[in-house]
Amino acid sequence: MNQGDAVEEPLVHIDGFRMDFGDQSVIRDLSFDVREGETFGFLGSNGCGKTTTLRALLGIYQPTAGTLHIRGKVFEPRDGARLGYLPEERGLYKKESVLDVMVYFGRLKGLSRPDATAWSRTYLDRVALADKAATRLDKLSGGQQQKIQLGVTIMNDPELLILDEPTQGFDPVNRRLLMDIIEEQKRAGATVIMVTHQMDEVERLCDRVILLKDGVAEAYGTVEDVQNSYGGPVIRLQHSGPLPASDLYDVTAAQHDYTELTPRAGTDEADILRDLVGHGVLVRSFTTARTSLEEIFLRVYGDQSEQVGA
Amino acid sequence: MSQHNLKTVVGFEFLRTVTKKRFWLATLAIPVAVVIAFALIVISNETTSTTASNQKNAQLTFTFSDDSGLVTDAVATVFGGTRTTDPERAIADVKSGAADAYFAYPANPATQPVRVYGTDRGIFENGTYDAVARAVLVAGAQKKIDSPQLTAVAAGNVTVTSQSYKDGKVSGGINAVIPPMLFLLIFYVAIIMLGNQMLSSTLEEKENRVTEMILTTMNPTTLIVGKVISLFLVGLVQMLTFALPVIVGYLFFRSNLNLPDVDLSHLTLEPGPMIVGTLLLLGGFILFTGTLVAIGAVVPTVKEAGVFFAPLMLVIFIPFYIVSLIVSDPHALIVQVFTYFPYSAPVTAMLRNSFGSLSPTESAVVIAELFILGFAALRLAVRLFRYGSISYSKKLSLRDALTRRRAPRAVRDAPHDG
Repeated sequence: MNQGDAVEEPLVHIDGFRMDFGDQSVIRDLSFDVREGETFGFLGSNGCGKTTTLRALLGIYQPTAGTLHIRGKVFEPRDGARLGYLPEERGLYKKESVLDVMVYFGRLKGLSRPDATAWSRTYLDRVALADKAATRLDKLSGGQQQKIQLGVTIMNDPELLILDEPTQGFDPVNRRLLMDIIEEQKRAGATVIMVTHQMDEVERLCDRVILLKDGVAEAYGTVEDVQNSYGGPVIRLQHSGPLPASDLYDVTAAQHDYTELTPRAGTDEADILRDLVGHGVLVRSFTTARTSLEEIFLRVYGDQSEQVGA
Repeated sequence: MSQHNLKTVVGFEFLRTVTKKRFWLATLAIPVAVVIAFALIVISNETTSTTASNQKNAQLTFTFSDDSGLVTDAVATVFGGTRTTDPERAIADVKSGAADAYFAYPANPATQPVRVYGTDRGIFENGTYDAVARAVLVAGAQKKIDSPQLTAVAAGNVTVTSQSYKDGKVSGGINAVIPPMLFLLIFYVAIIMLGNQMLSSTLEEKENRVTEMILTTMNPTTLIVGKVISLFLVGLVQMLTFALPVIVGYLFFRSNLNLPDVDLSHLTLEPGPMIVGTLLLLGGFILFTGTLVAIGAVVPTVKEAGVFFAPLMLVIFIPFYIVSLIVSDPHALIVQVFTYFPYSAPVTAMLRNSFGSLSPTESAVVIAELFILGFAALRLAVRLFRYGSISYSKKLSLRDALTRRRAPRAVRDAPHDG
């Protein structure tokens, strides 16, 4: 945790969290904060304890040890916190109509009946399901049900949005729609915690991430920090002629006129370019790229099989 | 508990039940069956009455012989009979179809059978012989007595009124037993009709994977209490629906249905038994509701819930196997056990309360037991729902649920260090 984090009270604070199921310890010692207004990626392989952590944060599980707070308190639904939670195991009252279910949850979230009805109709229109308002949920396709579930989750403008694998069950078109809606919520000031295996979404949406492995945080910080901690930027070079030996970089891959360079600590990419040109290398292209989260994920969890307990 | 959310849950659960076609099909099936039964009874009664009247008044050509001396020629002639002194010839005439019937009255009709011979007129019409033979004999006997008063008394057509006393005061008798017994009837109807719905009320959240959404939106106690209240309201709707045809039948078709004319003003409403009956009903309802909801929270499917449901239903019927003992010897050991065992207590105590054998001390103990255990069962149901309903596809370990204790408040709410 950075020194500066203590200045502003985080919206979510988890400290020394431990969760045992019988003899098995799913989470051993986990601490992290989620700041107000940020989008936070909660990453890890299947079964590493992400869902368990969210359930403990929301009071569904009782932690074996540790502190899990939202706005400085253990979460209780009666506190009136505007929370939107899209669980991994999800479903709605399947034998009821779409509108009835949405209005019901809207009322439980504090909206009046007319407001809940109006909000639901607007949302259904937005996700092209306006004609399904009176349809029973079990008559909808899986993707359509997911849209309704998302609508129920974001009713009453939640200040904290917790999404456990939100894109599960969405086709690419609807995934884009979902991401747009999440971005809207973010712009409206919501703090978002997102569990996902879609690393491109994390890179696009998240401000900070945590990687969970074996019940502890493997990496934690901004996306850039995490990428840097698994190797700095990589320089991809198209060139003519041999490269000179240099203490500014290491050659990590070379093939004919293509070479990948990893800058040494404290070296700027511009210094390397100047050095190459200065040694008469004909540089046809010079691009820098960070290690993608996908690569990091594969590197961290590549050897891991599924664990029990998530 | 949020009042707003409680109202929302009650409204949602109640409306989604009573607006379903399936609910009304199931609910109306019983009154429709009752109406059909009533209609059949009316038709049957009218037919029977007509047939009996026809048979009684039927004119037959018959011969008779009488060793009793009760049947005179004058009486027999009114019914179309002619005395014969040759029984064998009379029987032969019947066999050949020359005569409709022959009745042989014995010397002592009180101990010996009247023998009736007749030509076959079909199963139902053959009853006419029997009816006419009896009518002739009764008319002969009445003629012999020659007193309408003695005739009525001999036929048992008398009215008796009785008065009994308890502790120096007039006791209510059966009129005092009926009102508190109604609580037992309501209890049975409520548990039998709503038991399955109680059991499956939280299963739906589990089977549909709604639980996590619910647990993060409202307190589980609100959900459980809301469901119980809505079930109670649904039960009221069903009871009214069931009762309506019975009330209409009684008020407007009583004579057609041969129902007794009960004068409700004779019923005695004693405050003690009525209050005790109300409390036993409420306590029993809460105990069974809490238990059934708790079972629903533990098991993953309706099918598995049935394994627990059947024995629970059995327990409320078992006291009826010893109802004579409950009435005649309420202090017998088995009756005492049934009075205090929680799941047989409501029925046994309500029976004893109706018959006036439940003392005030026993009433207080049983009522306290039912309410305490009932609320404990409801709390347990909430806890099991909270921790059991996310065990979506497997049965919850009771040990797990009951040993999962919340962290001490001081730890949970301790200020974090940022």
